[in-house]
Formats: sequence, C-alpha cells, structure tokens
Amino acid sequence: MAKASWEVNNVLIVGVGGQGVILASEILSEVAMRSGFDVKKSEVHGMAQRGGIVSSHVRYGSEVASPLIPQGEVDVLLAFELAEAVRWIGFLSPKGRVIASRQRLVPPIVSTGLASYPEDAESILQRETWAPVLVDAQQLANQLGNPRLVNTILLGVASRLLELPHRTWRRVVSERVPKAYRELNLAAFEQGRGILGSSSVS
Amino acid sequence: MSRSSRTEFLLGNGAIALGLLEAGCQVISSYPGTPSSEILPEAHRIAESEGLPLYVEWSVNEKVALDVAFAAAVTGKRAACCMKQVGLNVALDSLMSAAYMGTVGGLVVISCDDPGPHSSQTEQDTRLLARAAKVPVFDPSCPEEAREMVRTAMEISEEFRIPVILRPAIRVCHARQDLCWDPIPPRPRRAEFQRNPTRWAATPRFRLKLHEELNGKLKRIEERFATLYRFNGSDPAAEGVVPLGIIAGGVPFAVVKDLLEEEGREKEVPVLKIGTPYPFPESLAEEFLSRCEKVLVLEETDAVMEVFLRDRRKVWGRLSGHVPWEGELIPQRIAEVLDRALRDVGLDPLEASSDPEVFHLMERLQLPVRRPTLCPGCPHRAAFYAIRKALPKAIFTSDIGCYTLGLNLGAVDTCLDMGAAITMASGFSQAFAQDGELRPIVATIGDSTFYHSGTAGLLNAVYNDARFLLVILDNQVTAMTGMQPTPGLGVRADGSLGKAVPLERVVEGCGVQFLRIVDPYEIPSLVRTLKEGWDYVREPQGGIAVIIARHPCVLAYREEAIPQKKRLKILETCKECRLCIERFECPAILFDEEAGRAAIDPVLCAGCGVCLQVCPNKSIVEVKEEAGQEAPHKG
Repeated sequence: MAKASWEVNNVLIVGVGGQGVILASEILSEVAMRSGFDVKKSEVHGMAQRGGIVSSHVRYGSEVASPLIPQGEVDVLLAFELAEAVRWIGFLSPKGRVIASRQRLVPPIVSTGLASYPEDAESILQRETWAPVLVDAQQLANQLGNPRLVNTILLGVASRLLELPHRTWRRVVSERVPKAYRELNLAAFEQGRGILGSSSVS
Repeated sequence: MSRSSRTEFLLGNGAIALGLLEAGCQVISSYPGTPSSEILPEAHRIAESEGLPLYVEWSVNEKVALDVAFAAAVTGKRAACCMKQVGLNVALDSLMSAAYMGTVGGLVVISCDDPGPHSSQTEQDTRLLARAAKVPVFDPSCPEEAREMVRTAMEISEEFRIPVILRPAIRVCHARQDLCWDPIPPRPRRAEFQRNPTRWAATPRFRLKLHEELNGKLKRIEERFATLYRFNGSDPAAEGVVPLGIIAGGVPFAVVKDLLEEEGREKEVPVLKIGTPYPFPESLAEEFLSRCEKVLVLEETDAVMEVFLRDRRKVWGRLSGHVPWEGELIPQRIAEVLDRALRDVGLDPLEASSDPEVFHLMERLQLPVRRPTLCPGCPHRAAFYAIRKALPKAIFTSDIGCYTLGLNLGAVDTCLDMGAAITMASGFSQAFAQDGELRPIVATIGDSTFYHSGTAGLLNAVYNDARFLLVILDNQVTAMTGMQPTPGLGVRADGSLGKAVPLERVVEGCGVQFLRIVDPYEIPSLVRTLKEGWDYVREPQGGIAVIIARHPCVLAYREEAIPQKKRLKILETCKECRLCIERFECPAILFDEEAGRAAIDPVLCAGCGVCLQVCPNKSIVEVKEEAGQEAPHKG
C-alpha cells in the first residue's frame, strides 16, 4: 500500500445520496491538507444529490492537477453501500483495496422487477478485488448508540490504509462533528481503526 | 492592523468568489443553478469576514441579474453576474447588447458549464455563446486558476471596456483545493453616471459604430491573449517536429497533463494550453502547429478552438471524429482518445492500467440504477399523488426544479425550460381547442421557477384564454440548488429582509379569477380543489384555475414542515399491492421480501404521515407514543 511521498494517492468515496459521502470526503481532504499534501477533490451537487448514485474523488500528493481519478488508479475505494462498492471496482488500481459497509440499500426499481440487486455482492468483491474489507458498520454504529456513526467508523478503517497522521485524523474528526457527539465520534473512529486485523473483518 | 494570511479548503466556486473580491468587485447578482449556486454565498461570506463592501442579490432570473450587474458597471463599479450555462440563454439578450455598449467599470459574467450533464437540460458550451456575443472568455482548469483568471478577466474588462466571461466547468466549480490569501484591502468606488445617449441608448445608426468599435477591441484582446503566458502556452519545445502535440483547455487540460505525467511521456507529447479560447490567440496556436505533425484538440464540450485552427488537415478533434461530441471528457475517455491518437501517429500506446475483464463483469451484472427521488416527507410527492388521483387522464406539463422528479409518480409529461410548464400548457390548450377539444391539462411549477419566468407565460395564457389548471408547488425556497430564498418570503441574499412579494398577489395581478391555496399534505382536500378547478376551467365563462399547493420544504424547514413527527408502521394486513412503493414512491417505504409486505425504514422516514392517506387497505398506521398501541388512521 505504501507509496513514495511524491506519488498521488487516490481515494474514491461512494454511496447513495444522503449517506454522508461529501462530509466524509471533506474530512479526508482536510486531514491530507493539514498533513502537507496538495489536495484536490471533486463532488456532486444538485439533481445528483436526490437519492442517486454519489461519488467523491479525493486526490493528494506533492502535486495534483486534475480533481478526477483516472480509471484504474483508485488506491482505496470507500463504499457506504454494498452494490455501490461493486459498481466502482473497475476503477481500482491492481493493488487497490475496497472498504465497504455491509449495508444494502435496495432501490425501489428492484421491487418493480425492472432491475435486480446483486445478491452475491460480497462474493463479487471477494473474487474480483484483493483483500476487501467488509464492515458491519451499521451494526457497530447501533452498538455505539447512534446509526449516524457509520461514516466515522468507515473513515477509521480507511485511516489504517492511508498513512496520514493519527493525531491529525482525530483533530479533524472532532472539529467536523457536532460538539455534543465529539467523544462518540472519536470512539467510533477508533473502533473503525481497530478493525483491520480484528475478527469483524472477513 | 495587519492580519496574517488565511488558508481554506475552498470549493471552486469559493475560489471564484475570492478572486472577484480580490479584483475589487462590489456588486454581484445571480440566479441559483447547479453548478454555479455557491459563488454568491461564498462571496458574501468572505466579504463579511474581510470587512469588504459588497452588494449581493438573488435576482429573479439571469437576464434581470445581468442587467443589474451591467448597470453597476456603467456607474464605474466593478461587478459580476453568476449563473449556470442555461441561465446564459435567458441573459443572452442582455449580453449581446452589452457587448456593443461596453462598460465603464469591469464586468465579469460567470457562466458555469455542465458537461455530462449532471444537473442540466443541455450540455451546451458557453464558449460558443461568448463567440456569438463577441465577448472574450476564460476557461479555467482548476479552482486556483479560476481565481487568477477572474482577476485578470476583471482587469481586461475594464481596460477594454467590454464584458468578459469566465466559463468554469462543473469539475472546477465543485472541485476543492486549499487556497491561501492575504488580507484584501477595500477599494470602494462611488457610483457615477455620465450621460452618453449615443452609447447607453444607441440607435441603429450608432450601433453600427459600436459594432466596429467592438471588433477593434476583440482584435486588440486577441493580441494580448497571445502574450498572456500565465494562462496560455506550452513547455519549452523539443528539437524539431514532433509526431503528435495536444492543444487543450479547461478541465481536459488538467486531466491530460496528469495522464502524460503518470505515463512519463510529457516530453514526448507537448501540450499547448489555451486558457482564453476566444478571441482565439491564433499566433500561439500556429507556432505550435508548425512544430507538430498532428495536433489533437481536447476541449469541453463543443468544437471551439478546433474550428479556429486553419490547417484542418493537421488537426484531430471532434470534426475529425477523434473526440466524442457529447458527454463529459472524463479521464478514461481522454485516455481512450489519446491512446488512439498515439497509435495513429505510430507512437507507443498508453499502458493499460485497468482490467477490461472487470468492466465486462460490470456490464453482465446490470447493477440497479438509482434514479433521483423526491425526499421522504417532500410536499411535492403529496401534491403529485393528489393530481394523479384527481385528473389521471390529464396532460402533465412541468418545469425545472426538484419537482421534475414528479416523473417517478407519473405526473410529469414534459419539461422544456424554465417557465414552460405554463407556456406549454397554453400551447397544448390552443392546439386542442383548434380541433374543438378541451383536454384536461395540469401544469406544475415551483415557486422560484414561477418568479423566474412564470408570470409572462401566465399573463399570456389569461389574455389568450387558454384553459388549464396550474398548480404552483410553493415550498417557499429554491430547493434543488441549495435552499436559496425566493421573493415570496422577502429574505434577501445577505439574510436581510426585503419586501415580500406573495405569490397570490402576482397570480391575481396576472388576471387569474380562480385561485385557491391548499396544503398538499391534506390529499383529499387538494383532490377536491383540483376537481373544482377543472370544473371552472371547463365553464364557457371560466378560464385558468390556479392552485397554490403550499407546504414548506422538509430539507429547508424541518421543524415547520413536520412539527409533530409521526411514528409509522405497516401492519400484517398489508395486501402487497405495492401502491405505496410504486405510485407514492416514498424512499422510506421498502418491500420486505421475507415478511412479504411493505415496511417502513425508521431512519429514512421523515414522519410526515402522508402515506396514512395513501394505503387503500389502511395497513399503514401510526404508533401511538403513550401506550405503544397502534391506532388505525381515520380518514
């Protein structure tokens, strides 16, 4: 996973409108920026935000020109939804890793029979990508007492693969969440960070 | 006194706002539209924190906005006007004439393009309109460059007394990067007006002179652009003639630069960057062309620079079939185009970095599309449901906004442009009337879109005795573009209070005789009113019936929209008719395959309770807090 410091790091964060993809990408960008990198990021607004497919590209390195990650160059694909993880695996670099929440959001069109939801999304990820990290993020968040902690847990997992300073992560996470939920979010972040290597990973 | 510099991770639109303030811009007018909407609020925010004098206004439409900014520039102040690319169509009447008249203070028009399109009705290229209007245009490749270009654009505008366009594409507007700035010194100017009727009120005879003057300005600006090495130019040339060179601008420039560097081929394939596509700095391009056997032009979205290159035999681009005419030039598309060009000139192809197998797998899987949907609790859903129920056979003309998603409820048949719900309803009405037929037609338009361009159409429809029902979906905000205020509330762009202009007063002023205001959450009452309205439309002495469906947007005004959140549940008596999923289409109602019935997702559910009125079987019930008992909804 380690890259030379001058190389560009590419993180693609994906999910469904309303899941908090943009906030997560803002936190990551801020961490990379404070760690001294040139950062560029691309996001979506408007019609695309109303329940559709949402993606945000974050790129950092010594110098980055374009905010868009080329196909085949994604180092970490952070997915808030299982089918969305599958949708973007073609963007991974050969050594790219997927971190995906096991949450499944089945769009209404599936119940009308006009489209199908990939039942075997997990096995596709296992088969087609190298060492995917599948996280029961929703369950963990509920255990911590708030279903909205999913994003912070997933950022915690990602932080283990991105080699940015732990202290900077903690500082940015505490600044970007509501004051009343600061401790809870930090706990969620640490829980996510501890996942790689523990038993909740398959 | 001295404050140190500041760094922020700014949105491209924030970078543009910063550049405007650094250029001494004092007046900014805008109508919101993705991807331009954040420029004005960011400018207001930064101006407040820097203590700079700045007048901002959300104008009712883009033409109004441009006239306002133009007048400010005529007084000698520096001004800007921001809009999305289709907004420039609305403002084009003003722009074409303003180019002839010229300005006194600098005037920058920011028109944001949406190749893709991600959130627009066309993929039009603002640079073509700049060419049509004879106005210089800058094409930034990243937020930092957009900030620098807007400053230069302001200088050029003022020096040559001509409006100048900045054309950022969506990937500039909605990219973020860290930007650092020093304190901005206030440089306020006082408004002055010098009478000069042969310019400011020129008759056709003087217009000819102004046109000649404009052409002279463009010639001189082209010469300036040819030496504007900050935005235009190429890296030092390799010796001799190379097999392939690239001319690129905007976001495609940034993409191709990254791509060539990743592949380590930036020396082999030189790139001429043009940040000022019009007036085209031809001398720079000709010199570059002489050093290349073939030149590939990468620009978004149309062929603009390509057509200015005279030796067409050397040039590859859209006209030659190398570059697609539609769709965003995303990195993989640029890689495909470049790969083909490299092969065609006999150079090594690009290193394939992605696995084609995986893409074939993706195609086989046919992952479900996720179409955009109205939010849980959205009052528009209730309104559309009632409309379908009251007049299922009607023609449904609609408009631009969140409510275009009424498509999903089968209650939107047309969506042409801003205001066309009303004007197309008029047109349908007259076309059928000519055959002696009175077809039911229901037009739906949002409050902000009605203020933008609904009134002219409504006046026209009343005057010409068109017959249809108009439902104004009044959620008291411009929702799709990020919750900007509307004239209906009277809150202004800087948060201060202006004078509210209520919708009902405007509707009555247009000569409408039948006007009702209904809360769309009350579906039976809206259905009843729609039927009454249709009766009025049909009467010989009737006319247009207008119903204002008024309920605050759930995103903008959570508390007011749903003061008492209901806890809902679906009982085992659910008959699996799926009406709540397919016809009502609330994202919080899902079909639970295991239980064999519909279920409510408590995280997504907004608690509006409108679905209680929808279930034909009364299987959706409210969970009462006190006893935890379920009471069937009465109604």
